Amino acid sequence: MAEHRLMVHGNVPPPLDREFTVVGKPLNRKDAVEKVTGKALYSGDLRLPGMLYGKILRCPHLRARIVKIDTTRAEALPGVRAIITKENTKGWRTYWYGVSQPAFPEVITYEGQEVAAIAADDVYIAQAALKLIDVEYDVLGHTLNAEENLENPLPSSVAGEEYPENDINDRTRRVVKRGDVAKGFEQADVVLEETYTTQAQYHATIQTRACLVSWDGSNLTVWDALQGIYFTQIALAKSLGLNPENIRVIIKYLGGGFGSKASAHRVTYFAAKLSMLTGKPVRMENTRDEEFITHPHRWDFKVYLKMGVKKNGELTAIYQKAIANIGAAGSYLPNRFLYAARYLYKCPHVHLEQIGVFTNLQQTGPQRGPMNAPSIFALESHIDRLAEMINMDPLEFRLKNYVDFFYVDPEEAIRSVEGLPPIREKLVDATGKIPYMTKNLDKCMKIVTDTIGWERRKHLNDNVKGPKRRGIGFASFTAYQGAGNKPNKAFADVDIFNDGTINLAIGIVDIGGGQVTVFSMIAAEELGVSMEDISVTYGDTKGTRYAPACQSSRVTGEMGPTVLQAAAEARQQLFKLAAPMLEVKPEELGSRNGRIYIKSDPSISIPFKAACARIDPGRPIRGSGSRATNPDSPMVGAFGAQAVELEVDLETGEVNILNVAIAHEFGRALNPKLCESQLLGGVYFGVGYALSEEGIYDPKTGKMLNPNFHQYRLATSYDYPDVKIVIVEGEEPWLAYSGKGGGENANTPFAAAVRNGIHHATGIWLNDLPMTPDKIVNALQEKRKGGSSHAL
Amino acid sequence: MNIDDKASKSKKQITLTVNGAMFTRDVFPHMTLAEFLREELKLTGTKVGCNRGECGSCTVILDGHSVYACTMLAVEAGGKSVQTIESLSVGDKLHPIQQAFIDQDALQCGYCSPGMIMSVKNLLDRTVKPTEDDVRCAIDGNFCRCGSYQNIIKAAIDASDKTADPDRS
Repeated sequence: MAEHRLMVHGNVPPPLDREFTVVGKPLNRKDAVEKVTGKALYSGDLRLPGMLYGKILRCPHLRARIVKIDTTRAEALPGVRAIITKENTKGWRTYWYGVSQPAFPEVITYEGQEVAAIAADDVYIAQAALKLIDVEYDVLGHTLNAEENLENPLPSSVAGEEYPENDINDRTRRVVKRGDVAKGFEQADVVLEETYTTQAQYHATIQTRACLVSWDGSNLTVWDALQGIYFTQIALAKSLGLNPENIRVIIKYLGGGFGSKASAHRVTYFAAKLSMLTGKPVRMENTRDEEFITHPHRWDFKVYLKMGVKKNGELTAIYQKAIANIGAAGSYLPNRFLYAARYLYKCPHVHLEQIGVFTNLQQTGPQRGPMNAPSIFALESHIDRLAEMINMDPLEFRLKNYVDFFYVDPEEAIRSVEGLPPIREKLVDATGKIPYMTKNLDKCMKIVTDTIGWERRKHLNDNVKGPKRRGIGFASFTAYQGAGNKPNKAFADVDIFNDGTINLAIGIVDIGGGQVTVFSMIAAEELGVSMEDISVTYGDTKGTRYAPACQSSRVTGEMGPTVLQAAAEARQQLFKLAAPMLEVKPEELGSRNGRIYIKSDPSISIPFKAACARIDPGRPIRGSGSRATNPDSPMVGAFGAQAVELEVDLETGEVNILNVAIAHEFGRALNPKLCESQLLGGVYFGVGYALSEEGIYDPKTGKMLNPNFHQYRLATSYDYPDVKIVIVEGEEPWLAYSGKGGGENANTPFAAAVRNGIHHATGIWLNDLPMTPDKIVNALQEKRKGGSSHAL
Repeated sequence: MNIDDKASKSKKQITLTVNGAMFTRDVFPHMTLAEFLREELKLTGTKVGCNRGECGSCTVILDGHSVYACTMLAVEAGGKSVQTIESLSVGDKLHPIQQAFIDQDALQCGYCSPGMIMSVKNLLDRTVKPTEDDVRCAIDGNFCRCGSYQNIIKAAIDASDKTADPDRS
């Protein structure tokens, strides 16, 4: 057992010193009955008396200056209650992940950007009124290709004068260097240089953005479908000039987020403004094509990757340059492409660059392990090809360059080349190890290769006739998680009442990962009661304190310790009341299965509720928790490996995934049933990322050609493979019962595993996602001609 | 032009059975069955994800066939019998399919669940012992972006075991 030091402010609760009775059990999710009966009310299901319906007029062009906008005809339509445009909202800005953009710009910079918003008595009138707004556009030239715009120092051609100061910081070029890559390449026996491209992946949540906003003259109430109530509250307050205390945000159910709903999005701001203007509640809901066109999708990347290796398999150098297509200004871009290639393998010479470039290709933002998936696709594809070049088994090659934790160099620095001084990171703790890290990636790799039957690779296509060839591929990964990084704030409260009722108050949203279930389990474990004994106040800024949004795999690692501390503190207060009943000191007590007992003789016990009866009815017990920020060091990370057996039709280029084995390490599975569901969901995103999903745009007009599910090619039940799951557990004493996040892991290595499997089946290397049949057929034809062995 | 006047003049009267009860309403000819269920009858268990017959969240059973309520007009459902998610549980007693969805964790965000469950219900109404492939076929028109397909298939098989043998449910 490692040192016990939960990452919280104030007192660290002592370990329970007993077998867990709740945590680690595969319990059913707490809100399941509401969801399977249709009783769960999502934001789009809510109605208020006197409610107005909002609709948005969107620009059909990618880039255009609004010359004239005339709403006279629309205003004259009976039933129209308010219209907002740039003319009556001058200076108004909205925020997405803290990045600001004009609510209604002078210059449109992406297809579907808002030109006007209408509130009317019903949705038909609102729709009819849209057609009565007269807008004259001066259509300007647009940019679609990030690389072509690389040397443009400012996004002025894209955004114009409306994005001042820090709004363009996203574009910053980031560089990480270790050692001397030129020297590293000199030491290499084999050097491989490739270009990888990854597509714009869309979140395609089944629920579109839908909100209901009500202004009563001084307070705003917002029912929405977003991943964070406090993110939303703060952003709305800043935009609307209100105090956060005057905004109540309520989000009980969310029909899919995956990063696209981490912060308030545009419809919420417009509905709020219209409600404030009319004094009536306003409902606004995106249609499916509006959702596709305007919601911030995952950046598409172009990645130059060059790696050097010795004949014995030792990596000597990695050079990586990743160009992110940020899309329109106002988008958010973190610097996470530098993460995987820097840490995953032992390599002394590293030069990694990430550059973001603005274009007019919609807006972008985080999606399920935002940069883990594209960066791992490039890295793990490259690793397999290098292994082949030195004639080494891909598994053996990875193990050869394996490191116990992360590979770091004490002299390592992260610096921006924009003239800023280098910022040194303290990378190791006092014992010389990196905190927060269990890894077990070697175990994961061995498990998945054993499960899939790695040894079968050699003879998989012996005596095969017909057009189909089988292949087995494999990839490993690390995934960045956001828990506890600066700035960091998270609170939880546990109240115990005189009648034995226990309430956990947490300001989080349950996005479907089962967050409410898991935090109830943590509280129940610490208190020694069952999960059903805990009622939870959540998804509401009333009755809770600040908590992070459910994004970046952060809430388990961030709220877990917070909830644990709150519950433990409440328990200790209750033990003070129980101690006289059992004639011992409070510290001699333990609790489990609804009873409080004497640790030295557990047969002597009282019911938990009997102790609660001693609580002052007017003053319930309150235990509070507060998460401390991680020390300066690498952040919480998750690890894992996936192996895929597939079949490629050499005539049609179709890929059929037959079997999948995945092994993941993210500390302890606090509820294995829910963790497995998250992992299955990750594989689903991986299947689409690997084989079918992509935004397709007209090369001339730049307009999206497939803003619907079937042309976007969302995978169906027939495409979903059989997945065998192994969760490898490790100890993380800094987190609640070692729990890290499980949501963003399983989609990360899947595309690389499929790509490596396609190579095994056919001999072609594919560097361009998604790996659609046309690309496979073309690459096979090239190969037959004796040309390049990979498709670009 | 007054849209209200023009539209109300063109309303049509329909009578249909929903979850065993008869309803007569005047509706716009352009109102979809999904809108009718959600807006007129306040049965918001039926979800709308795409409003163009792709995602399956609005799946209901109409005279024994599972249909997309978003691509059927309310007037087309006149004289017919519709079953929605709200009809499955009786009081606190869940339908075996609902219980199986919970036990197998065949849901995450839950938004697709009502439509998914209705597709499975229609399958089990027609097929006593469905195979895994039967289930894949039955839910092929339902998207679950949370990717719970493997558990949905398990839940459907699990529920079919219980509905085929009532003593076990």
